[in-house]
Amino acid sequence: MRGADAVIKVLAAHGVNTVFGYPGGAIMPIYDALYGSEVEHTLCRHEQGAGFAAVGYARASGKTGVCFATSGPGATNLITALADALLDSVPVVAITGQVSTSVIGTDAFQEIDVLGMSLSCTKHSFMVQSVDELVPTLYRAFDLAASGRPGPVLVDIPKDVQIAQLEYRAPLLAVADEPKVQDADIDAARALIAAAKKPMLYVGGGVGMAGAVEQLRRFIKATNMPSVATLKGLGAIPHGTPGYLGMLGMHGGKAANLAVQECDLLMVVGARFDDRVTGRLASFAPNAKVLHLDIDAAELGKLRQPDVAIAAELRAVLPRLEMPLDIAPWCAEVETLAAEHRWDYNHPGSLIYAPAMLRRLANKLPEDSVVSCDVGQHQMWVAQHMHFRRPEDHLSSAGLGTMGFGLPAAIGAQMARPDATVVAVSGDGSFMMNVQELTTIKRRKLPVKILLIDNQRLGMVKQWQQLFFEERYSETNLSDNPDFVALASAFEIPGRTIFAAEEVEEALTEMLTSKGPYLLHVAIDDAFNVWPLVPPGASNSDMMEEMERST
Amino acid sequence: MNHNLEVTMDQRPEVVERVLRVVRHRGFTLTNMNMRLVDESVYLSLSVSSERGIELLSNQLTKLVDVTGCHVMQPAMPQSASA
Repeated sequence: MRGADAVIKVLAAHGVNTVFGYPGGAIMPIYDALYGSEVEHTLCRHEQGAGFAAVGYARASGKTGVCFATSGPGATNLITALADALLDSVPVVAITGQVSTSVIGTDAFQEIDVLGMSLSCTKHSFMVQSVDELVPTLYRAFDLAASGRPGPVLVDIPKDVQIAQLEYRAPLLAVADEPKVQDADIDAARALIAAAKKPMLYVGGGVGMAGAVEQLRRFIKATNMPSVATLKGLGAIPHGTPGYLGMLGMHGGKAANLAVQECDLLMVVGARFDDRVTGRLASFAPNAKVLHLDIDAAELGKLRQPDVAIAAELRAVLPRLEMPLDIAPWCAEVETLAAEHRWDYNHPGSLIYAPAMLRRLANKLPEDSVVSCDVGQHQMWVAQHMHFRRPEDHLSSAGLGTMGFGLPAAIGAQMARPDATVVAVSGDGSFMMNVQELTTIKRRKLPVKILLIDNQRLGMVKQWQQLFFEERYSETNLSDNPDFVALASAFEIPGRTIFAAEEVEEALTEMLTSKGPYLLHVAIDDAFNVWPLVPPGASNSDMMEEMERST
Repeated sequence: MNHNLEVTMDQRPEVVERVLRVVRHRGFTLTNMNMRLVDESVYLSLSVSSERGIELLSNQLTKLVDVTGCHVMQPAMPQSASA
């Protein structure tokens, strides 16, 4: 068979039934092999959209996402999505066509050194040098993408390799040993936990990626330890769990940040001390000893030296750390903090208050739902005010903060979970970054719901200009936005615009009960900001709070 | 601080580039380098300097898929002056 046929056969062997991509000259043999095959392809309208759809697919399903692009501009358009997958540890295999080996290095048409470009934005990358390497390389790529700390892997395949003949033989891959946990490390960790009077769990995205949600929940039940989560960790701990304070960090809840600053043991699980989480690192949880658990040994001691660190599968470690704790006074203190700083949704005036609307949306969503966010103020409001049953129900570009993520990620999520209610919450700035993917929704007849929160501003940047740049609003006015409902209509997606708080309930119902895709365009006042906010360089205990002006 | 590392890697055309990218990106200045290709393995001796701890770099290099070994060499003890 041809190399191109072998590519499709490897995908099928890995249970890949959905691929996102865009064809072009150097990947035409693979697209030819795809034609009529058992692997379903979703044509996106930009390679970045295809990359994010693969990310969304992976995050919503726990499987590896796959995307295709051609050489040159096709491959470079994938780069942002790969970087996003790297920073959020998402398993993705990207397959790019490359010009034939005989002309590589001659500046041939649509030739770019994508292997070189990918070095900094993938977990690993390959260029297949000969057809004999092709099948083993693809198997290795799938193994690498999903094993250990997951991430994106790129396989660049020259066109002559795609058309060369081979005898297909599935390789045998050695199964890597899981990192062994020393009993002494477990003993040291247990001793730290047992000695703590004010322990706090700091839960990151690694818990969901490791499939350790159940183990984490059992650990919390056994210890009663109070907890906070990062943006990517949301969903790991159910809303309403005693002592759970929601998100910490720059836009975290006040109770979450204050409690972490107060704790005497910070138990970090699948998280990495991101600067958006810690604020000024030197004063983050200043009195706490640190117990750090992660699959990636390189994260241990990278930013904060732990007192005890264990590099291992969380599924294996967490059950060994369960114990009852005598921390009732601390739990009471945490509950008091939570009560003192609970969100207030009684916003005066007739305008739509986005946090209140998102809380309503959370309450109305069916159990099997996915919320895919874009990046900006709306993203933080979602993180603060919605609640999620599982990490895979909340897709957000956390590490890279990529505008344009939300819509294509929702497409991937809907393909992965066709029966789920998928809502893409976007902002007017982000939405325009990958708006062409409305065509993908139309083509696939996907029932994606789009909640577009529009303040006619690049809101988060504007907020920073207001607070830290003397209200010099440089290039953040987006009031020349298109008519979004008319735009959606051009893609045969129905929708409506709402302006007043009294319209919210009925409009959310209409959106969620509509049969197909739907765009709910929500006009909000540009004066609304995201609070609280830890200013850059400040400690997490120094949160800015400000009430928006009532109108 | 100056540090010496010995890195062993599977031979791939881009493997040295991969290592050097990590050295630069993680905030280390390359001050000396020697590379040998023996059979299918690449042996790389690196001298680097940085204010950052060498563990940051060695951990990130160890993580690279093609890297089979990464050792931070202990600095040589200063020789005592002869009589």
